[in-house]
Amino acid sequence: MALWTETASGRLARHQERRAGIDAARLRALAARVLPGLLFCALLAAAWQAMAIRSASPLVPDLYAIGDELKLILLSGEAYRQIGATLGRIVLGLLLGFVVALAVGLASARNRFARSFFEPALLLGLTVPGLVWALLCVIWFGLSLKTSVVAIALGIAPALAVSISQGIVAVDPQLVEAAHVYRLRFWERLRYLWLPAILPFLMSGMRLAFSLAWKVVVLVEVFGLSSGVGYALNTGFISQNVAAVVAWTLAFSVVVAAIEYGLFQTVERRLTRWKRKSLV
Amino acid sequence: MSALRFEHVDKTFVRPSGEREAVLKDFSLEVAPGELVAIVGSSGIGKSTLLHLAAGLEQPDAGRVAFTAGRAPRLGMVFQQPRLFDWLTAADNIAVAIHTAGGDVARAQEMLTAVGLGKYAKSYPLSLSGGQRQRVALARAFAIQPDVVLLDEPFSALDELTARKLRLQLQELWLDHAPSGILVTHNTLEAAFLADRVVVLGGKPARIEKIVDVSEARPRNADNSFYFDLHRDILATLERHAG
Repeated sequence: MALWTETASGRLARHQERRAGIDAARLRALAARVLPGLLFCALLAAAWQAMAIRSASPLVPDLYAIGDELKLILLSGEAYRQIGATLGRIVLGLLLGFVVALAVGLASARNRFARSFFEPALLLGLTVPGLVWALLCVIWFGLSLKTSVVAIALGIAPALAVSISQGIVAVDPQLVEAAHVYRLRFWERLRYLWLPAILPFLMSGMRLAFSLAWKVVVLVEVFGLSSGVGYALNTGFISQNVAAVVAWTLAFSVVVAAIEYGLFQTVERRLTRWKRKSLV
Repeated sequence: MSALRFEHVDKTFVRPSGEREAVLKDFSLEVAPGELVAIVGSSGIGKSTLLHLAAGLEQPDAGRVAFTAGRAPRLGMVFQQPRLFDWLTAADNIAVAIHTAGGDVARAQEMLTAVGLGKYAKSYPLSLSGGQRQRVALARAFAIQPDVVLLDEPFSALDELTARKLRLQLQELWLDHAPSGILVTHNTLEAAFLADRVVVLGGKPARIEKIVDVSEARPRNADNSFYFDLHRDILATLERHAG
């Protein structure tokens, strides 16, 4: 019994040792991933502060002024309201753009006529700056939700359609044949073949679409809306409040980073679990 | 009565250069219920085209491919490569095919056990060896309780030792399920060992040069000299028609 107890405690100690080793390795990996980025942010902040002290101008506010502005918009709840309004428009615009891009991307990948038919539209869409969509939609739809949603959809659909089309073209035709032989129905093919196969293209397309969407919506809000981050930035610009402009930019950037790391990367990791398990 | 019939089938392919190449012309062949017919012939002669026509992956220009009782048959197919969905586990790859065929998905585990991969049910294809993946593909083809199984050089990408094991595995599955089928292969010894009849194709468009009956009951012994004699006979026919 004593022998058993010794063995068990020995095992426990070895387990704890191994666990500590794994934790330390994880910590080192996390530090290696995060520290360079943090170092860049610290150097940028230091350079900004040095520039602010040297110029001594309200056009280059120091970190304290920016921090005060950030505190103000956060504590007043203004940041949540405006960022929420902008995000709501982005989500609706992304949804509309995704539906259009999926239809165009699918058709372009599967049909030669559709590919030639949509090619000029995609080329035009990829080259037209978001600013043009923002201006046109403000002119066409005025001060309404439709303005931002349609402008975002027009801005993102071409890039997303190209990503989806490339993903579908890259699907192994041998798997398509296997799905045909085993008579998978449309929804089964979509679920078990098409979506998993085009996932990498879809994820990179959605990331690109998200970054484009936020640039377009801010322009729409600057030109024609009375809420959102763009509106807040414009207010700061009109009153020459550079600290407010920087504070709003920082606040929204944090939200964008949280969506990238918290949503896109988590979803991608979850959906590509099989790749990691395949390597085991 | 036949399980599968090619009736006066014509098939012509158009090459990228615009040149037309007649692969099959007035081609007819019957596969009896429970029979496995092996098709051998030189590369590009149209062996795989026959399987693609049977699987509905290609349509004949003339003639037809008919199945028993006129209803849509359950088709199982094993390709040269396993063609599994890498993002689904071994069991799920089989379960999807069973579900589509309207069967009980619990059979996926049974079939994996039958091909010796019971403990790999939750493994993803890329974590399995080539032989194991091909066994999953075999299990998928038989899991749907097929009327007809189409085998397109199923063991040609494997080393001989693994291929030998899988041939025996295929023989067991054939005994358990008794479907009808076509095996396309370059390996004449494999054809002699597995098939009930070996059809030797030659010429262009392809025609049947010779049919060799393998009147041996299953289970068969792969080391029986009878199959080596047949293999030499088939090979001699192939060499004669290859010029």
